[in-house]
Amino acid sequence: MDAVKSVGLGKVYHSKEEVEALKDVNISIRKGELFTLLGPNGAGKTTFLRIISTQLLPTSGEAYVLDYNVLTQAVEVRKHIAVVPQDVATYGNFTPWEYSYYFSRLHGMSKSEAKSASEKALKAVELWDLRNRTCATLSGGEKKRAIIASALASNADIFMLDEPTSGLDAVARRKVWGVLREMIEQGKTILLTTHIMEEAEMVSDRLAIIHKGTVIAEGTPEQIKRLAKEKFRVVVEGNFNSLNLAENNNRVVKFGSKWIIYVEDEDEALEIVRTALKKGLKAETAPITLEDVFVKLVGGEAG
Amino acid sequence: MNMKILKDILIIAELKSLPDLKRQPLILIVIGMLSALPLFFIVVFGGQLSYGLVGALVATVGFIGLMAAIQDVAWDRYVKIREIMVAMPVHPFSYAIGVALAPLMISAPGLLFFIALAVWLGVLTFSSLLWSILILILCWATLSSLGFLISTYLQRASVYTLNNLSNILGIALVFIPPVYYPEEFLGSFSWIALIFPTSNAAGLIRIYSGLLDASVEMIVVRWLILIATMVVSAFVTVAKARWREI
Repeated sequence: MDAVKSVGLGKVYHSKEEVEALKDVNISIRKGELFTLLGPNGAGKTTFLRIISTQLLPTSGEAYVLDYNVLTQAVEVRKHIAVVPQDVATYGNFTPWEYSYYFSRLHGMSKSEAKSASEKALKAVELWDLRNRTCATLSGGEKKRAIIASALASNADIFMLDEPTSGLDAVARRKVWGVLREMIEQGKTILLTTHIMEEAEMVSDRLAIIHKGTVIAEGTPEQIKRLAKEKFRVVVEGNFNSLNLAENNNRVVKFGSKWIIYVEDEDEALEIVRTALKKGLKAETAPITLEDVFVKLVGGEAG
Repeated sequence: MNMKILKDILIIAELKSLPDLKRQPLILIVIGMLSALPLFFIVVFGGQLSYGLVGALVATVGFIGLMAAIQDVAWDRYVKIREIMVAMPVHPFSYAIGVALAPLMISAPGLLFFIALAVWLGVLTFSSLLWSILILILCWATLSSLGFLISTYLQRASVYTLNNLSNILGIALVFIPPVYYPEEFLGSFSWIALIFPTSNAAGLIRIYSGLLDASVEMIVVRWLILIATMVVSAFVTVAKARWREI
C-alpha cells in the first residue's frame, strides 16, 4: 500500500481566467520515505499538497492516502495526516507548548497523551526550553519549528509540509532538515514541497520535479541527476572566449564574468580546467548539481 | 452528535480564549467597558439606567457574536490556522461553535457584572433573568451566524477589511437601533426595532422585565423574528460555507 497515490490528478482554477494548476499528475509515495515535490513558484506544488491533504477539491483524477480516497473518505484521511501550510504564521499569544498540546488534543488525544506527545515533539525540534515563551518573542525559525512540533505531536502517519523552510536562514533550515530526517527514522512518511534545490537534494529519498502543473521527472536525487547527459560542470572566470571551446558543442551558461561549461566526462572537465589555468583564468570543476539538472529540465537557463 | 464533536468545541473555545486571557487579562474588561460606556451618558443626561443596562447586556453579546465570528475566522484564514484545522479530524461545526464560544467566555465577567447590577437594581427578577439569558443566547447565536455568513461571503477580503467591517457593523447594530434607548423614541417607526436582532432582543428583555408593554401576539412575533433570523443566517451559512475549497 502506498502512503500517497495520485492518479491523473488535475486542477483548474476558475477565477478571472482559467488556470490549469495540475495536469494529469501521477505520483506514488511509499510508506516511510521523504518525498519532495520540487518546482519553481507557481508550479502546482501547493495545489497538489492541498488536494492530498483534503483542503481542496480536484477537478479531475483521484488521490488516495493510505488507500483512503481523499474525495470521498476525507474524514478517514484526516486521522492519518498532519499539515504545515506554506507561510503559516503563529498566534502571537500562543506558546509552542500550547500549539502542540491543543493540536494533538484536536487529533483525538487525551490530556495526558497530548502532554506526553507535546513534550516529545518539542524536544525533537529543540524547543523544549522555549516551550513557555510566546510565539511573538520567538525567531522565524523557532516559530516554524513550533508549528512543525504541533504537527509532530499529532503522531500522524503522514506529514505534509509546504515549503517549511522558506524564509529561514541556513542554520535554522538545517535544524528543520534534521527534524525531518529524524521523523523518517521513526517510520513516518513525509511529503515536502520546496523550491530550494539543496534542500531537495539533502533530505529527499525520492523527488518529483513539477513544472507548469506537470511532473517532468521523478526518482532519487541521483537518478534525477543522471537525466542530464553532462555529468560535470566547469566554472571559468575571465576571458572565456580565449579557451576556443566553440567546436566542442558543450552547454555553456554565462553569469556576469563567470561561465559554466557542462561536460559529459571528468577528463574533458579537467582538460578545460588545465587550459583555463594555463591562460591565467580562474577555473574549477565539480559534479553537476540537482539545480543544474532542474534548470535544464524546466528550461529556465540564462546565457 | 458524537462526543468528539462536543469535545472539540470545548478544545477550540479554550484554545481561542485561554492563552489570550492568561497573557492579556485586560481583554476581560475591554468588551464590558465598551458596552458600559453608554451607561455613563445615560446616567449623566438623566436617562433611565434600566434601559441602558438591558442595552449593555445585548451590546456585549452583540459585539462578541458578530465581531468575533468575522474577525476570528478572518484571522485564522490569514495565519493559515484554518488550513491546519481543515486537514485535522475536526468537524466544521466544532470549529464554528468553538470560535463563537471563545469570546463569550472572555466577555463572561462583563456579562455577569451587568446581570448582577440589573438584579440588584430590580431590573431583572428571577423569572425575567431566565428569559433574558435565553434571549441573550439567541441574540449571540444570531449575530454569530450573521458573522460567519459575512466572512463566508467575503472570503477574498483582507483581514483588515473584515476587521473594519465587523467593527462598523457591530457598532451600527448596537448603537443605531433602540438597544440602549426605548423604542418609543422612534414613534411610528418603532417597528424598526423588530428588524434588528439586537433591538428585538433588547425589546424582548424589556417586555419580560416589565419595562415595555406588549401583547401576547407581539411577543410571539418578536420571538419568531429572532429565531427566524438565526435559523435563516445559520442555514445560509451552512449552505454557502465551504470547509474544503473548490
